[in-house]
Amino acid sequence: MTVDQIPSVVDRRGSAPAAGSAASRPRTSIATRRHRAFYMFASPWIIGFALLTIAPMAYALWLSFTTFDGISPRWHYVGFGNYRELFSDAQTWKSLGRTGLFAITSVPLSIIAGLGLAVLVNRPLKARGLFRTLLYLPAVVPPVGAGIAFKQLFDQNSGAANGVLNLFGIDALGWLADPYARYVLIMTVLWTAGNIMIISLAGLQDIPREFLEAARIDGASAWRSFRSITVPLLSPVLLFQTVTGVIASVQTIMPLLLAPDPTPAGITALPQSTYLYMMHVFAEYFAFGRYGYASALLWVLFVLILVATGLIFKATSGVVFYNVDPEAKK
Amino acid sequence: MTATSLTPRRGPRLRVNRLVLYTVLVAITGLFLGPFGWLVISGLKTPAELAASPVHWLPDHVQWHNIADAFNLIDFLGYARNSLIIALIYATLVTLSSAWVGFGFARLEAPGRKTLFGILLGSMMLPQMITLLPTYLIFAKLGMVDTYWPWVLWGLSSAPYLVFLFRQFFAGLPRELEEAAIVDGCGYSGIFWRIFLPQSWPVLSASFVIAFTWTWGDYIAPQLLLSTDRTTLAVAVMSTYVTSAGTPVTNLQAAASVMYVVPILLIFLVAQRGFVAGMSTTGLK
Repeated sequence: MTVDQIPSVVDRRGSAPAAGSAASRPRTSIATRRHRAFYMFASPWIIGFALLTIAPMAYALWLSFTTFDGISPRWHYVGFGNYRELFSDAQTWKSLGRTGLFAITSVPLSIIAGLGLAVLVNRPLKARGLFRTLLYLPAVVPPVGAGIAFKQLFDQNSGAANGVLNLFGIDALGWLADPYARYVLIMTVLWTAGNIMIISLAGLQDIPREFLEAARIDGASAWRSFRSITVPLLSPVLLFQTVTGVIASVQTIMPLLLAPDPTPAGITALPQSTYLYMMHVFAEYFAFGRYGYASALLWVLFVLILVATGLIFKATSGVVFYNVDPEAKK
Repeated sequence: MTATSLTPRRGPRLRVNRLVLYTVLVAITGLFLGPFGWLVISGLKTPAELAASPVHWLPDHVQWHNIADAFNLIDFLGYARNSLIIALIYATLVTLSSAWVGFGFARLEAPGRKTLFGILLGSMMLPQMITLLPTYLIFAKLGMVDTYWPWVLWGLSSAPYLVFLFRQFFAGLPRELEEAAIVDGCGYSGIFWRIFLPQSWPVLSASFVIAFTWTWGDYIAPQLLLSTDRTTLAVAVMSTYVTSAGTPVTNLQAAASVMYVVPILLIFLVAQRGFVAGMSTTGLK
């Protein structure tokens, strides 16, 4: 983009200083000035994206072909060695499977919960604003706060969760150990469903009232009009939630925050059921210092996310309705 | 509100429905506030009460001094100051840079703009964690580990989500706003600073609050990039509440994490009206 601007700059400087800017103005028309202005405005993002996103990813790609460990000067190029090891590493497959399972349970559950809450607090209620605020509140609690809160809540001895179970005569469970830790993990996601609620709520309020009224006059039940009008019209919002939810669940650090020892050394002592793919990356990176291998793991994850996102878009292309023209609404 | 007009039937059945509705809502709200409430209670117990099995529901004597102890066991205010510095640096810079970039995408045309906007939206889906580990290695080479420079750079380079927020807002403003200024010979950066930015208080404040909350809540970047005395409250609360003998002090950790979370809750409660207004005027809703 800058390359084709250079000649015109040179032209103006070199050719006719006497003619002044007035004569050359028509050539660098208003359109050209707007083009330049656009790139001036976009440049912080373009430069930032190149240096802070593309460059690190390229660097990680290069490292993924080496045995770099961050300290030892004797590292070397191993070609696809890390990738070969990765595919034969049982822990890669297991952690990948757990991550997939975590995503396909927690994402739909939290979307259903968020949408359900949105429908509830969209009704005419007293103190509606208060309910909305309180239900949204957990979504703004930083992950560290959430981690510590859930650790206290599900503590085997002193936690309120086991306290409630005891009231019903059920023995205390080791919530933060295998196999229950994975359910606590899902609960931490459900706890922040207020996030989805707020966005779904805005979507609900955009649904033209006439649609629902017409359905009512035609004798449609509440459930029927929810299924046939609300959900289809909300589908772009739900798709957005699905994609961002999957990406967030893949990179969650909650297992680490729920661990008894949330330090690099503690990663290897995580309960197996919460040892997700990102924890595997952390373990290789922090605990074993295998930067090259961890970079290979990250690149595989990146490609998998691309594929998963593509599949989600493809699978939903027939069911997501964009028939309400966003420009026409205004 | 108009939903009431849709339900002509009133009477006992409706009243029972409403009772069920409120009961369900109160129960769910209770569940949602439960973990935080339990954290507060845990922070006011003695270590013995906190370790008691079966659970010791409420402290016999509320241990208010836990709050002071949580301040004193670690350099709480020092870590809070670190968190505040990087959150202010990042939130200020990223709000301005995202507004700047968003203005370009909203009001100016150039070949390649659509492609670039597509990449920008696509990059929102790029997992942060994937770039963060190699970024750490690059920053280490540049000698930026253990400084606040990474937050300056991240701030200057804008954030796709916030760019999108600003683009939506600026795109909705009338064209006459800039036309008069162009006739008067005002450049685009003048138009941005003098005309568009002063119009965008709701989005500016929403963006600032969002960015501040991101940084205050971030655990991984400070854990990676900062040493123990420069690190943030998020890292300190998570990992430094141990006695000199190395045993964790969970009641103080709970008290400290309440104090760590409360500023964000307060900011949210104060800003939520403007925040929601900012989000809705952008059409992002």
